[in-house]
Amino acid sequence: MTAPLVFEDLPLSRRNHAPFSLSVVAHHTVAVLGDEDSGIGKLGGYALGLETPPAGRVRVFDIDMDTLSGRERLAFRRRVGYLPAGDGLLQNLSLRDNVALPLRFGSDASPREIDGRVNVMLVALRMAQAADRRPAQANEEECRRAAIARAIAFDPVLLVLEQPFDGITARASAELLEIARGGETAEGARRTILITGQEIPTVVQRRCDRMYRLTRAGSLELETV
Amino acid sequence: MSSNPITRIGGGTARWLSQLGALARFGFGGAGAAARLPRAGRAVVLRVTLRQIRFTAVHAIGLVVLLSGILSFLVISQAIRELGQIGATSLIGTLIVVAIVRELGPLITALAVVGRSGTAIAAELATNTVMGEVRALEGMGIDPRQYLVLPRFIGAVVSLFALLVVFDIVAIGAGFAAASLNGMTGNRYAEIVLRSLSARDVWLTVAKALAFGLIVGILPSYFGLSVRRAATEVPVAVSRATVASIVGVFLCSALFVVFG
Repeated sequence: MTAPLVFEDLPLSRRNHAPFSLSVVAHHTVAVLGDEDSGIGKLGGYALGLETPPAGRVRVFDIDMDTLSGRERLAFRRRVGYLPAGDGLLQNLSLRDNVALPLRFGSDASPREIDGRVNVMLVALRMAQAADRRPAQANEEECRRAAIARAIAFDPVLLVLEQPFDGITARASAELLEIARGGETAEGARRTILITGQEIPTVVQRRCDRMYRLTRAGSLELETV
Repeated sequence: MSSNPITRIGGGTARWLSQLGALARFGFGGAGAAARLPRAGRAVVLRVTLRQIRFTAVHAIGLVVLLSGILSFLVISQAIRELGQIGATSLIGTLIVVAIVRELGPLITALAVVGRSGTAIAAELATNTVMGEVRALEGMGIDPRQYLVLPRFIGAVVSLFALLVVFDIVAIGAGFAAASLNGMTGNRYAEIVLRSLSARDVWLTVAKALAFGLIVGILPSYFGLSVRRAATEVPVAVSRATVASIVGVFLCSALFVVFG
């Protein structure tokens, strides 16, 4: 099976002596968990080319992120869905506008087409009622639903989710993961997903194809659920 | 750190030039990003720009009217009294056009906009950065300069031009009031002011609005987006943006006098 996301020999933190390597296989949902100071939070930034690792390399869809110019990186990121830690929703926009934003700036679709697509996503994520609230007026689950909707706005085949289930119930976490997976194919989930964070609910762990934990020594251990 | 003064001066100059280069890259990059905006993105930018103009221009009209009215009234009142003693009241036309409309008007308007909107822009963008919103924008493939900087830049230019026009109209009106109170007829006042006004003043107003708008739109955005993660960086960024904008406006004003 191909691996749309590959990390090779990355030094994640000073504490960890062993370099970090991982291949996220297509159609798999992979969780990488670790302490807050383990450097696990950097993986999302490296995968999207938001940060450049001091050593090692990151390949996404077989493209080395280091070889892309700033403008190419921006265009490339539209192929990868991203949910940053803390949601990263713009506070001065409604949840609906937050979901629509990447489509408005990253596609040539007409405003009417974008509105239609956003409405479909809002209904699919069961947040049509809260869509016109701003993040500060919405609860954490509604914000997370909006952030997931925004991450899948371009219907990417690869998703990087940072701490996606923090502060929401196990039931909501399981539901959001199913939406993020985008349905099933013969090979597994329709989308390849990398989840990073400190902990994830047991019900989500069961839906992961692989779950790794970065130990204090810096080695990556496969955990079984 | 080297104690050699030449090394220190050289280091400081290199840092200053480096920052100037980064600022130029930021500005030109923003212009390039503007050219790549898709249709739906343009609609968003227009909406944010209109909001920016409402805050920067519409909400500042009262302040500009007040500053312009008081300044013009005081200057013209004093000038008529002093110039009247030597029979040179016809010079108040030159005074109101050269001193107020051409020089002080753009300067005071730009300073008012820096104080009200420049600080707000720097604080808002710095907060966006600290809250992870800028990183999220980049993660979605959106150039923050398209969504955050471009509308603020256009808004600053349009607002400054509009406020300059308001400033000039109020200044001439307040000058008329001052002249009337000091015994000058309306016709005489209109005649000497219109004689001093030229097409060059109109072009200078447009050019200064563009230049000062560039400073007020770009510098606070640059400093606002230059913070990293800590909330304590926000007031520092606001302070730097304000100082840099004020210095920029004064330097630019001086350049207009030298080359204008």
